[in-house]
Amino acid sequence: MASVIEMKGNQQELFKHEIETTDMALFVRTSDEAMLGWDRQRIVDALMRETYVDFDTAKEVAREVEDLIATSKIKMITSPLIRELVDTKLVERGLEQARKMHTRLGMPLYDVDQLILHPNKENANVPHGPEATNLTLAERIKKEYALLTVFSQEIADAHMRGDIHLHDLGFIDRPYCSGQSLEYIKRFGLSLPNSIAMAKPAKHPEVLLAHMVKFAAALQSHFAGAIGWDSINLFFAPYLVGMSDQEMEQLAQMMIFEFSQQAVARGGQAIFTDLNLYWEIPKHFENVPAIGPGGEFTGKTYSDYLEESQRFAKALFDVYQEGDGSGRPFFFPKPLVHITEKFFQTPGHTDFLYHICDVASEKGNTYFVFDRGETAKISECCRLSFKLDQTDLEDAKHPWKMRYCALQNVTLNLPRIAYLAKGDDAKLFSKTAEFIEMAVKAHLEKKLFIEKLLSLGEKGPLALLAMERDGSPYLRMGRASFLVGMVGLNELVQIHTGQEMHQSKQAFKFGLKVIAHMKLLVDRFSQRYGMRFVLEQTPAESTAYRFAKLDLKFHSPKSGHIVKGDISKGEVYYTNSTYLNNSAVLNPIERVRQEGLFHPLIEAGALTHIWLGEARPSKSSLANFVVKTFQLTQNDQIAFSPEFTACNRCHRTSRGLRSSCAYCGAEDVEGITRITGYFTKLSSWNKGKLGELRDRYRNQAFFAQKNEGMAVEAG
Amino acid sequence: MIEIKGFLETSFSDWRGKICSVLFLPRCNFRCPYCHNHSLVFHPEQYATFSLEDILARLRSLRDWIDGVCLTGGEPTLHADLPLLVRKIKRHGFSVKLDTNGSNPAMLEELIEGGETDFISMDVKAPLEPFRYSRSTGLPVNLKPILDSIEILKKGKVEYEFRMTVVPGLHGEEDIRTLGGRLRVGQRFILQNFNPENPLDPSLRNIFPYDPKALKKIEKEVQEMM
Repeated sequence: MASVIEMKGNQQELFKHEIETTDMALFVRTSDEAMLGWDRQRIVDALMRETYVDFDTAKEVAREVEDLIATSKIKMITSPLIRELVDTKLVERGLEQARKMHTRLGMPLYDVDQLILHPNKENANVPHGPEATNLTLAERIKKEYALLTVFSQEIADAHMRGDIHLHDLGFIDRPYCSGQSLEYIKRFGLSLPNSIAMAKPAKHPEVLLAHMVKFAAALQSHFAGAIGWDSINLFFAPYLVGMSDQEMEQLAQMMIFEFSQQAVARGGQAIFTDLNLYWEIPKHFENVPAIGPGGEFTGKTYSDYLEESQRFAKALFDVYQEGDGSGRPFFFPKPLVHITEKFFQTPGHTDFLYHICDVASEKGNTYFVFDRGETAKISECCRLSFKLDQTDLEDAKHPWKMRYCALQNVTLNLPRIAYLAKGDDAKLFSKTAEFIEMAVKAHLEKKLFIEKLLSLGEKGPLALLAMERDGSPYLRMGRASFLVGMVGLNELVQIHTGQEMHQSKQAFKFGLKVIAHMKLLVDRFSQRYGMRFVLEQTPAESTAYRFAKLDLKFHSPKSGHIVKGDISKGEVYYTNSTYLNNSAVLNPIERVRQEGLFHPLIEAGALTHIWLGEARPSKSSLANFVVKTFQLTQNDQIAFSPEFTACNRCHRTSRGLRSSCAYCGAEDVEGITRITGYFTKLSSWNKGKLGELRDRYRNQAFFAQKNEGMAVEAG
Repeated sequence: MIEIKGFLETSFSDWRGKICSVLFLPRCNFRCPYCHNHSLVFHPEQYATFSLEDILARLRSLRDWIDGVCLTGGEPTLHADLPLLVRKIKRHGFSVKLDTNGSNPAMLEELIEGGETDFISMDVKAPLEPFRYSRSTGLPVNLKPILDSIEILKKGKVEYEFRMTVVPGLHGEEDIRTLGGRLRVGQRFILQNFNPENPLDPSLRNIFPYDPKALKKIEKEVQEMM
């Protein structure tokens, strides 16, 4: 968007459209000199170019602004000021549409100052540094852009009000997240659009790893969220034949350090990476021809690589167990182990299960993903998973085709629905439908926008996603998911029925009913639009905080009794997604069992957290629990979360969150635990999450609980 | 009947390989300075008493999950009717693990002979010398019952382990080796790191625990002594 004075050099060329951004920046003048160059015509040009006002109005506005500036004796005139003055004149004339089109996006000086000096707490995975500030600055402008032009006013307003939350608005020109198979780069090598050098398929495992890391970085700059890799140990296996244990461990170490230290990818963030791992050969890959060094088919199928695949999985967990250079858990990449029927039929599974449970107990990294019956999926992000249906399993025969993405995530403020329903069941359900319809509309609008960008093909901004190495674009829009998330089911139930979900059977059942209703609605919309709308448990790292704050404003005093956390400290939040109250004294069995009842309804993935706090459980007991969770519940995914204190003086890491180091007593320590899906330092947490952390029940309070400790039985 | 002062429905750390519930019983005859359950020893009246009926009802609803019940304290064997409690729990089909300091060998014998317990975990506090033991338990201790208990367990009529909480200052590495050499029970000798959070003797709060890696190494070493 060009500003008036910036047009100086081009004043002869009216309505010139293609002005290079760099040229404009050169012409920004904010000193007296620019006043000398004042030319009213430039206002007219801008108005004619950017809005639909007629020539006469434009001339009038320009003259009025000129008069205003001339009489005001302003000492310093800047282009943003002129633009603001022009906008005032448009508003005076009632030309609201024109004003919107002519508006300027940017940030107040004060905000930029704050931003450069203080860390961003919306996403704890963003460090504080020049790259990160660049990212935040860009995000701010893109967010405004999205709300003004990508989304309709109705949707933008719903977001601003906090009825719904449009995630990653600052990444409006990217889809949400991506799950894929390594086979793509194994087969096609690394040849990215816009890149100067093209690499042929890797011949050595280290090179394959390098390709994978680079490709992940490239993907991360095209997706807002997680980058997940399917069956990574299996797909590496053909490259690992004949490797010694030591070489294998070295490679595993390289992989984990590469991904955990890629703090240069985007805004200084580590790439949000997920590694899907299998002990067995997943059924759908059993007879698939294996691709080996040089991108050649090895003549064998993946079933022949069981040994290498297992050795690599073991080696990866050896590295996780060690932790980083100072014994801290690795934050990324996250290992997700699929527990399936076949897992238990595969020799050695007990030892492997002990091994990954040991890591879960010691470091917390392991995610246990349960694929019961014939289910197969790729998991990523904080809990998102892509369930593979029949066509996907057909794709599995050519695994490079397996590329899935979620285009966007829209989260509903469920407590808001309950405030509005005022206790009326019918109203509650009709409001839910209204909110879901808004989410659907938001998805349609974003889809349209992304399709516009993709239509520019390999010359456009999303060239990487438009590239067609195997005959179809990298991003397969037809397979995309559109996520509908939720925050605060527990509070919705509390407002509506007077009880939280863990407090009575009826309350819990009502919660189930709401989610079942939502599932029905998204299915109906999927049919109507031929798109895949699915429910997801939103990680809601900042949304749970944002919704609670907005409801404190709009639905006080009622909301004051409902929001969780500490209002006096401003540490407020709603309970995430369909979770039960974080502080409820519920043993892990009940939590896994009860929360698991929601999971079959939430297709795009759900997760139960078991906060361990300081406790260091025995690996065999955890394994026992994992097996029972698989057999006795419908739970989709679990993770155990220990807490750590890392010392900045002696660089040792101890269990539990402490104010000083357990080994040397230093007070320069940093708490570490899981925020939503990933581990991170507490100093980067937003206030809402800190409130939640204080409330988390860590299976420890067992004295003087009287009957409160007796949880309700569900179902 | 024994008053049950604490009930943890699920524990992954009190019985290796099992998911167990833990019942906390009040009072103790030792005064270990590093004890972190000391309010249970000194002020059991502060806590509500759980009714065994409620607990059993709760356990029944978790039957598929809970493999057993761990009785801990305080010192459970101080209660003359402990065997009765054990029997009641057993009758409901749950295995029972007992944590003890070994000061009541007669009761251990009774429980073992009756086949009532499935696992006994005995705390050993220091090398088996009167002076060292007294220092670690905070009281003059008669070693005889302790030694008897060790012998009873080592007969192997019931699954067992010996646990030692290692506190820098009270126990040196050499002490661990001495004790390990004396017990010679292999992997049944377990080391636990001291937790400075809330010890009975507040001065221990300033003691920094051993590096877990170093401790693991010694544990491995003493576990090789058979």
